Amino acid sequence: MGPAHKGAQHRGTAGELEVMASALEGTGKEGKKESSKKRSVAGSPAERLLQPVKLSRAELYKEPTNEELNRLRETESLFHSSLLRLQVEELLKEVRLSEKKKERIDAFLRKVNQRIMRVPSTPETELTNQAWLRDGVRVPLHQVPYTVKGCFRFLPPAQVTVVGSYLLGTCIRPDINVDVALTMPREILQDKDGLNQRYFRKRALYLAHLAHHLSQDPLFGSVRFSYTNGCHLKPSLLLRPHGKDERLVTVRLHPCPPPDFFRPCRLLPSKNNVRTAWYRGQSPSGDGSPEPPTPRYNTWVLQDTALESHAQLLSTVLGSASGLKDGVALLKVWLRQRELDKGLGGFSGFLVSMLVAFLVSTHKIHTTMSGYQVLRSTLQFLASTDLTVNGISLCFSSDPSLPALADFHQAFPVVFLDSSGRLNLCADVTASTCHQVQHEARLSMALLDSKADDGFQLLLMTPKPMIRAFDHILHLRPLSRLQAACHRLKLWPELQDHGGDYVSAALGPLTTLLEQGLGSRLHLLAHSRPPVSEWDISQDPPKHRDSGVLTLGLLLRPEGLTSVLELGPEADQPEAADFRQFWGSRSELRRFQDGAIREAVVWEAASMAQKRLIPHQVVTHLLMLHADIPDTCVHYTGGLLDALIQGLKETSSTGEEALAAAVRCYDDLSRLLWGLEGLPLTVSAVQGAHPVLRYTEVFPPTAVRPAYSFYEQLRERASLLPRPDKPCPAYVEPMTVVCHLEGSGQWPQDAEAIRRVRAAFQLRLAELLTQQHGLQCRATATHTDVLKDGFVFRIRVAYQREPQILREMRSPEGIISLRDTPASLRLERDTRQLPLLTSTLHGLQQQHPAFSGVARLAKRWVRAQLLGEELTDESLDLVAAALFLHPEPFTPPSSPQVGFLRFLFLISTFDWKNNPLIVNLNNELTAEEQVEIRSVFLATRTKRPVMVIVTPQDRKSSVWTQDGPSPQILHRLMVLAAEALPVLEKQLMDPWGPVDIRTVFRPPLDMYDVLIRLSPRHIPRHRQAVDSPAASFCRGLLSEPGPSSLMPVLGYDPPQLYLAQLREAFGDLALFFYDQHGGKVIGVLWKPTSFQPQPLKASNTKGRMVVSQGGELVMVPNVEAILEDFAILGEGLVQAVEARSERWTV
Amino acid sequence: MVARGRKRVAQDSEKGILSPPGYSAIPIKFSEKQQSSHYLYVREHKVREGTKSSWPQKRTLFVLNVPPYCTEECLSRLLSPCGPVQSVELQEKPDLAESAKEPKSKFFHRKPVPGFQVAYVVFQKPRGVAAALALKGPLLVSTESHPVKSGVCKWIRDYADSVPDPEALRVEVDTFMETYDQKMAEEEAKAKEEEGVPDEEGWVKVTRRGRRPVLPRTEAASLRVLEREKRKRARKELLNFYAWQHRETKMEHLAQLRKKFQEDKQRIELMRAQRKFRPY
Repeated sequence: MGPAHKGAQHRGTAGELEVMASALEGTGKEGKKESSKKRSVAGSPAERLLQPVKLSRAELYKEPTNEELNRLRETESLFHSSLLRLQVEELLKEVRLSEKKKERIDAFLRKVNQRIMRVPSTPETELTNQAWLRDGVRVPLHQVPYTVKGCFRFLPPAQVTVVGSYLLGTCIRPDINVDVALTMPREILQDKDGLNQRYFRKRALYLAHLAHHLSQDPLFGSVRFSYTNGCHLKPSLLLRPHGKDERLVTVRLHPCPPPDFFRPCRLLPSKNNVRTAWYRGQSPSGDGSPEPPTPRYNTWVLQDTALESHAQLLSTVLGSASGLKDGVALLKVWLRQRELDKGLGGFSGFLVSMLVAFLVSTHKIHTTMSGYQVLRSTLQFLASTDLTVNGISLCFSSDPSLPALADFHQAFPVVFLDSSGRLNLCADVTASTCHQVQHEARLSMALLDSKADDGFQLLLMTPKPMIRAFDHILHLRPLSRLQAACHRLKLWPELQDHGGDYVSAALGPLTTLLEQGLGSRLHLLAHSRPPVSEWDISQDPPKHRDSGVLTLGLLLRPEGLTSVLELGPEADQPEAADFRQFWGSRSELRRFQDGAIREAVVWEAASMAQKRLIPHQVVTHLLMLHADIPDTCVHYTGGLLDALIQGLKETSSTGEEALAAAVRCYDDLSRLLWGLEGLPLTVSAVQGAHPVLRYTEVFPPTAVRPAYSFYEQLRERASLLPRPDKPCPAYVEPMTVVCHLEGSGQWPQDAEAIRRVRAAFQLRLAELLTQQHGLQCRATATHTDVLKDGFVFRIRVAYQREPQILREMRSPEGIISLRDTPASLRLERDTRQLPLLTSTLHGLQQQHPAFSGVARLAKRWVRAQLLGEELTDESLDLVAAALFLHPEPFTPPSSPQVGFLRFLFLISTFDWKNNPLIVNLNNELTAEEQVEIRSVFLATRTKRPVMVIVTPQDRKSSVWTQDGPSPQILHRLMVLAAEALPVLEKQLMDPWGPVDIRTVFRPPLDMYDVLIRLSPRHIPRHRQAVDSPAASFCRGLLSEPGPSSLMPVLGYDPPQLYLAQLREAFGDLALFFYDQHGGKVIGVLWKPTSFQPQPLKASNTKGRMVVSQGGELVMVPNVEAILEDFAILGEGLVQAVEARSERWTV
Repeated sequence: MVARGRKRVAQDSEKGILSPPGYSAIPIKFSEKQQSSHYLYVREHKVREGTKSSWPQKRTLFVLNVPPYCTEECLSRLLSPCGPVQSVELQEKPDLAESAKEPKSKFFHRKPVPGFQVAYVVFQKPRGVAAALALKGPLLVSTESHPVKSGVCKWIRDYADSVPDPEALRVEVDTFMETYDQKMAEEEAKAKEEEGVPDEEGWVKVTRRGRRPVLPRTEAASLRVLEREKRKRARKELLNFYAWQHRETKMEHLAQLRKKFQEDKQRIELMRAQRKFRPY
């Protein structure tokens, strides 16, 4: 599969490059937006827009045929909706094998059969004498210990049968496997072969001989070994056809014993078949201690005996019912998307087919059900049944000789017995895998029941890789460390049972240990399953430690994360000893406020960010204490991205605390405003309207303490001014607060007069706040700046009816009608919608503590890509909120890292053309309303902005994306996200730690035509840059609290002022891109359309000059002069203007 | 690129500066240091017969493409060698009428960030226009004797200017409100006077203020009335009463399903085109 995958990737990147190139060309085609939109409608099908369906009356109301009615009825009863039905049918078409390919595979199988039968026999030799094996082939088994009794000879198989999903027609693309069972002739086997791995040794030798002969044959493209389902004792032989069919199919050969060779009673889970003395290489000790049972070893032997009977069972159940087959195929896709089906102990397709068979036998599924219903019923069953507690069995005979379910529960964590009642199909499945399946099934059921969203897409088409599904990830490496861990955990019997596979032996106990330790912090712990490796027949089988790394995923419970205390039992209770033993030296006696003296563990964590990482402390502590795994072997990926939203000086916090301090200060101020005496009208509401007040400002403000000597002082207005001879002072952004005044008949009804009255209120507010609370205030016509405890707030007085008054228009007949005007919309947005959004998101933060981190990382990234000014702050906040309110198919993120990855995924995959992003704040939209919104959206698509975000408060206009981004910018953002996501995921999943986590935050600069380099001296937020400079300039702040009676310099950011000038002067010639967080470079992109020579017109002379072209006088941009203008306008700030391309030459 | 730039400049000096017909071009630079220059395109301000223009004929110079760093004072200084300048007005785009002379309040109307503008320069004598048209330049905006601030210095000055004076603001608000109140009082008095007084033909105007106020004449109010009527009618209607109504509802339902089916098919078509059905 490896090479195929790589090829696909190559194709992918090449495609992206093309897209990018076209995006570059397209940038700045605003003028041609209309025409390009039309083209995209008619253009390539991939870019097509959904059109409202128009059917003629005759077509709509013609008499229905019987067939049509039947289909409609079927859709209604068997599927959720007709769309779902069509989707399922399409998906099945995609994953099914075509008849043509089936024929080719069948032909190949017939040839394989012939070749196997022609393999020559060998004379009988001792098992330990393997000299007869030819060079070029190695035994695909670790023969530890080597000495074993018994003889072996090769004879062609007594029978060759195809088993498994290929016969049933439930195998799915992309990897088609055909399982073939080779029944070894009885002459090869001897009595007692079940003992001490003798059977497995013979099986391996059988395969080795076969492999040697088949590899000589030109029919096969590759002949390799692999482990059956990852089990280290059971190799299988993989055959692939030669030539172009190489990737078509893999035939897997599984040798199996003749029927009834092993006595089933010898292989019960309580029996021992690997003698301790043999395994440890000692002489049998005669102390009569009972041999430990080897349930897994027994199961592996039993599995081989039952290959055919299982195939028969499945073909009788699934054989005739196409709905069941569809269902199994869908379930396989479902498992595959969740990475649950691979590796040792995975929830394989075979297991799920057996589960469907079980549900049929218990009448939970009927054979007439559709594939969708089978999927749904199976998920329902998985969600509601805990197989670790209540095992299930396909065996319905009441034979007393059969062991009870309870016996199996004792030997295995998960129990699902086959029809013989002796074989546990889930023997290798660990409890955490089972819980993970259950968790996924529950999520999927909730999704199917919610009805609002496109369930199909989220359920079956969205991949859930570990890094994006779990809040924290940790890698254990090198794996050889686990061998020592097994000894420390005293797992010798398990090792004996697993045939020395210490990774899978240690997996169960380790996960249980961590689950217990993480307790209330943990929602779910999942582990990666060791991958099934393939190797060449001339090589030794891979060692256990070669199976890569062990990766654990933690899904955290946000409520549990806030506590730093692990409360134990009271000191005199007997459990106290257990607690002490479990936590070791970290456990200490503590006296609590209620007088109780208890054992307790306290973790050091001051900030929210550190509290989120307590699981890291727990895991390293427990692994060291109980399993001897030092913290150097644990690579924990949970807070690696935190550095990007950390404040300038503090490294322990990701800013949640600083934001909370600012919000507290705001709360105080709002109380002061409420209690203000002497205002002519009372305050009716105080609402925050700034990102800080909804916890989404990337870098939270700190209290300002200006050093006066650094500034020019304007004493009479109590203000500080920047000085030209000093570096630019620190950037202080006032936090906007909207203060509504009560309505009254005294308000004038004229827009201009209202503005004057508001100005009077601003003045009065400043006066009163200074008089009554001694706050430094500065009033202007539109707002009052207030300095409180070092934070600066900008209070805007608002009058509720003002937007209404701005909307009023008088028609010629004298009727007053309301029409939206730009001014009224802006006012409405600033004084009503923005405060509402701010308080709603503030509430969201209280529910989901990770929201702040995710939203800030997302904004940080978008701005770092120089696209921050194209997308409004609010729109990005809403996208981040969507990750929490509509997390399907995941759960709401509990760490900024995973939230950010999902943000990138959402941005890169969301189809903005055909879908609005519905952000159901406070759950106010019902399912019907959402359907309605979608259909209205489709009908009015061309009139809506490129990116449409719908909230319960804003169902029609998509206020925050009204003015941007342009289609080109959005496309660019999607391309960037699609490129960043795999890079970042790869870095985070790298068990040896990322080289440089900031890679994806550095913008590519090669696409810009001109780069304007800025001098750090006049960039006030220089230190916030992605690559934070080692040293920057003094920004005129004191570290000690000083007198603060003068208003600091507010909102003075030279790069922003410069950009405003550039955009005003050259906005129709070029686009300007800048990272407001300490960017040192402005990227300039010429608009290709404005470089077309223009005819002479008084209105388009701006910045252009006349040239003669082909005898005609035309106007072209005066680029040389403009480049010099860049430097002139930014005198002092601009370091250099680099022209990098010659694209403007006309 | 630099080489190419030089070549173009050289070309210009050889051929003379090109300009649109009817205009003459004057190169303008920020200061001595700059290599290349922008071009002011100037001509005499003329309008067709019958069009009203408040700019004086013959004496007004119309200037296109004034760079953003060139202020009104600056333009006045640059053109004064041609003859005494009476006034200079910079505008976003050509506009025939002079802008309202009433000074805008500096508190309520923000000064816009300047881009490239057009200017109307009124000379005291028509001679000035002719002289300006013959000007060769290049004009320098910022010179040793009259430096023009740009960049950081300008932003700091703008910041200092933007710190408001509350007293002045208060005075302005008070005067405005006084006039406004006066105006409103007058209107009120007039309305009161007219109330209930029949006009020449005997009609009496009914207003909201009188003893028996009527519905306000707004669109919302009339819509509300219509809505109420509609609801009343809907209440009276009988649904699914006659057999044909039954039949029609059923047919309607089927039509809905068909429409939905078509929509879904289209959706699927689109998804297939986007390869949305490959789960790998």
